[in-house]
Order: sequence, then structure tokens, then C-alpha cells
Amino acid sequence: MSWVRRIALLAALIFAAAPAAADDLVSGLSTDLIQITSNFTGADIVLFGAIEPSEEAGPARDQDLVVVIRGPDLEMTVRRKARVLGVWVNSEQIAFTGLPGYYFLASTRPLDDIASPATLERFRLGTINLESPTRAKTDPDEANAFRAAAIRDRKREHLYWESPTGIEFLSRTLFRARIPVPAAVPPGEYRAEVYLFQGGTVVSAQSSPLFIDKSGFERRVYNYAYQASLAYGFIAIFMAIALGWLSSLVFRQR
Amino acid sequence: MELYLPVAELSVNWAVILAVGAAVGFLSGMFGVGGGFLMTPLLVFYGIPPAIAVATQASHITASSLSGTLTQLRRQAVDMKMGLMLLAGGIAGSVLGVYVFRLLQELGQIELVVSASYVVLLGSIGGLMLNESVRVIRAARSGTLPPPVKAHQHTWIHGLPLKMRFRRSKLYISVIPPLILGLLVGILTAIMGVGGGFILIPAMIYLLRMPTNVVVGTSQFQILFVTAAATLLHATSDQNVDIVLAFLLVLGGVVGVQFGVRVGAQLRGEQLRACLALLVVAVAVRLLFGLVRTPEDIYSIVAGTP
Repeated sequence: MSWVRRIALLAALIFAAAPAAADDLVSGLSTDLIQITSNFTGADIVLFGAIEPSEEAGPARDQDLVVVIRGPDLEMTVRRKARVLGVWVNSEQIAFTGLPGYYFLASTRPLDDIASPATLERFRLGTINLESPTRAKTDPDEANAFRAAAIRDRKREHLYWESPTGIEFLSRTLFRARIPVPAAVPPGEYRAEVYLFQGGTVVSAQSSPLFIDKSGFERRVYNYAYQASLAYGFIAIFMAIALGWLSSLVFRQR
Repeated sequence: MELYLPVAELSVNWAVILAVGAAVGFLSGMFGVGGGFLMTPLLVFYGIPPAIAVATQASHITASSLSGTLTQLRRQAVDMKMGLMLLAGGIAGSVLGVYVFRLLQELGQIELVVSASYVVLLGSIGGLMLNESVRVIRAARSGTLPPPVKAHQHTWIHGLPLKMRFRRSKLYISVIPPLILGLLVGILTAIMGVGGGFILIPAMIYLLRMPTNVVVGTSQFQILFVTAAATLLHATSDQNVDIVLAFLLVLGGVVGVQFGVRVGAQLRGEQLRACLALLVVAVAVRLLFGLVRTPEDIYSIVAGTP
């Protein structure tokens, strides 16, 4: 689903669901651009925000917050090994499109306590609700097992992260969530979304962009490798030859 | 200490990579081998994806075989004509190998094929070397010498057409065996990331019956150019060459190799060969273990841009 459609859907749902005087939600990220530099080992960013109670209603009870950071969609090929003559060999494989390269979710309570499964599914909240179409014609149970394996693997790599108590309240209205970004994040356009739930429905939502990009040298090398691969190959060879030649010169004189 | 590899898209400890390059360089200098057979498994154990490891470390071999080739050229121990024939086969082989490599990568079988070919090749060559060096050491202790290999023995190779004179090797043989030998080694270079010296040298001695004084120089000449070609082909065909990783490996390697040569010169030949054989067998056993051990998760994931 494209961002435009997601946001349009979000707006429609909120207008339909929200009571006349909804609380206002403001939020921001500690940074909206993460640069992957040569010493990049991951980053910690903070999303902070406040719920501003509407004047007529006064501060509301039973409110919940959900924060989602979603990275660019990637194509993921999941392979399953089977034992053939004593050796583990990749046998079946399914390619999924639409799974994000990074997915972080923090909430004030476990998701199941916040809203009904149908609501969570509608807003695609939680890794079990990630949409992942596949072109492969496998039976749904089989596809689900592969999908679950993909999510398990991403969680192991800390690329998917669900933290049911990850949102901290600093005061009655002020909140904060820490987002650990591992070194292996795919560069691209990210989106941070904050949902305010009241009584099991979304009453307010906010979305802001986050960019993760390789910085100067790293990006130039990567682009060069793909766009000028012949020259890139020659540079690699030239580097090897120059270093080899230099070392034999240095060591011969000693 | 952490350094981000822009093409592999992961961060590594640069000191570890430099040390791996130096250690493999040291061993390759000491034993007179390219060391590719050690480098790929070491990088994979460290966590570098096999495809990146294979494609990137060819440049490490290019660098370490350069100084060897220069020395051998000065000593006039390179049979240029033979080298060029092997090279012609080698370049064709690496083109073929890079194509097969890409195909296997798409099928998801590259890791299996790389590991399995290592187990088979290293296991058999290591076993043979170990057997031979133990025999030589025993014979030296009991005072009997093994029978020398007879030169100018006629085999089926002499019956092949397209004969050519190789003056430096003092041979008049068909060009088909060198071409095929070069082809096979080129395929190995592209798929396994090895220089192939461990196959090339025995084959030159026992199959082509080249004099031993030109064997090492000629094989290094061939390896220098075939690994360079493989680097270029991987860079253009599958973009698995990470130049930052290559730089660290080469830098460590060219220093390590110089120290290795000095240490190797002080050790006795048969002991050296026995040590190398043990090392080769150990790598093969470790890789075999990786193939048969039940994996922690039978699913594996490869992510890419759609």
C-alpha cells in the first residue's frame, strides 16, 4: 500500500471514528535524518510528544498510545532447509513483497489490551498484522510458516522490535519512546506514526518522516559499485596491485 | 574500531579484518599458497555473507600473487607462453564461473555449493598432502628416499592434437590440456574465491610434466590475472565486491605475506607441507561440520530491494 493511500485511509478512519472534541496529539522525533557514516554502529533516537486535552472535555481517561516506526518495504526471500543425504540443503523458498526493512512498535500496554484484533489489523499494528503479499502459489498455512520465520529472523536481528511498555509518560500529558536503530538498517524513507486510542478506537494520529541515508563516502562507494561497476572493478584491481607492488618495494629495501 | 562496509551494508571491526588479512597473508607467504581457501571460510565464520566474501577476496590474492610474480619474472622462472594459454582458459572459466555463481545465488544454493566444494577439494587435497608428507618424513628418518618422478614419460596427453612448443618448459604438447586446466581453475576462482594454486601446481607437475623451476612462477602469473579478471567480472555482474573490505584485507595481506616468506624460508620443506596439510584438513572438517549440523533455524532470509 502506498503512503498516500495509507494516510488517506488513516484520515478517513479518524474522521469517522473521532468524537467531536478529540484530544490533540503532537509529537516529534529527536532527529529526522540518520546518516550512516563509516563508524555507524546503529543509533538511538527518541520520539516525544504530548496529548493536549481539548478544552471542553478535560483530560480523558483510558487513553493508550502506540508508536510505530516503519522502514522501506523490501523483497524478502525466505528459504527452508531440509536434510538431504545428511546435509542441510535449502529446499523450498517463498518471496514476500511488502514486508518493511525495519519495524518498531512501542505502546503503553500490550496491544491486545488496547484494541480489538480487527482494529489492530485495520491499522496494521503489530508484526502479526504486517501485510505481505506473495506471488507464490503455496497453501496459506505453509506461507504463514515462512512469513513467521521471516519475522522471527528480523526480530533476532533487532530489525523488528515490539515493546509493549516502550512508551514512558513524563507527566500526565507528556510522553517519550526510545527507538534503538541497529547498524544493519536498510537506508531509505521511514515513517514515524503515533496513534492515540481511547476506549479501543483511534481518536487521533500523527505521522512524520524519518530519513536514513548513507553519508557522503559510503553512498558514493555504493552508487559507484552499481552505476559504474566496470570502473569500480578496475579501481579494486588497481588498489590491490598498487598495494602489492608498494609492499614488495618497502620490504625489499630492508 | 567499527567500520561500515558500504556494499555489504554491515559494520565490522576493522582491526579483526586487518588481522585476518595479515594472518592469511602470513600463511600464504610461509607456505607459498594463495590463501584463498582460508580466507573465504574465515570471513564467513566472522559473519560476512559468502557471496561478498568470495567476490571481494579475489583482490587479496591479486595483491599477494603480484609480488611473487615480479620476483619470479626477475628470475626468468615464468613460462610466458604456457602462462598465456592457462590464462586464456582461466578467463573463459571465470566468465563461466561468475555466470554459474549468479545462477546459484538466485536459486539460493550458493552457500551450499561453496561449502560443499571446499569440503571435497580441501578434504581430498589435504588428505593426499598429509599422506605424502608423512611418508616423506618417515622415509627421511629411516634413510630411504622415495623414487623420483620420471621426466619425459609419454602419457595420453601426448596423443592430443594442436601441439605447440613451450620453450621455457622444454615441452612440445597439445594446447588442449593447459586450456582445460586454466578453465577449471578459472571456474574455481569465480565460485570459491580461491586462486587455485593448490590444483594448478600439482597438475602442472604431474599432468603437463613441466619442470618444477617454472611451475610456481607460471602458476602465480596465471593466478594474478585470473583473480583480477574475477574481481572485474564479479563487480560488473553481481556487485558483490566491497572495496572497503578489499582494502583492509589487501593491506593486512601484503604485510603479512612478507613476514610469512621470511619464516617459511627457515622451516624444512616436508614439515612445512605437513603443517599446511593439517591446516587444510582442519578447514575441511570445520566446513563439513557446518553442513551436517542441524541449524538453529531451518529458515533463512535474504532481503533485497524489490
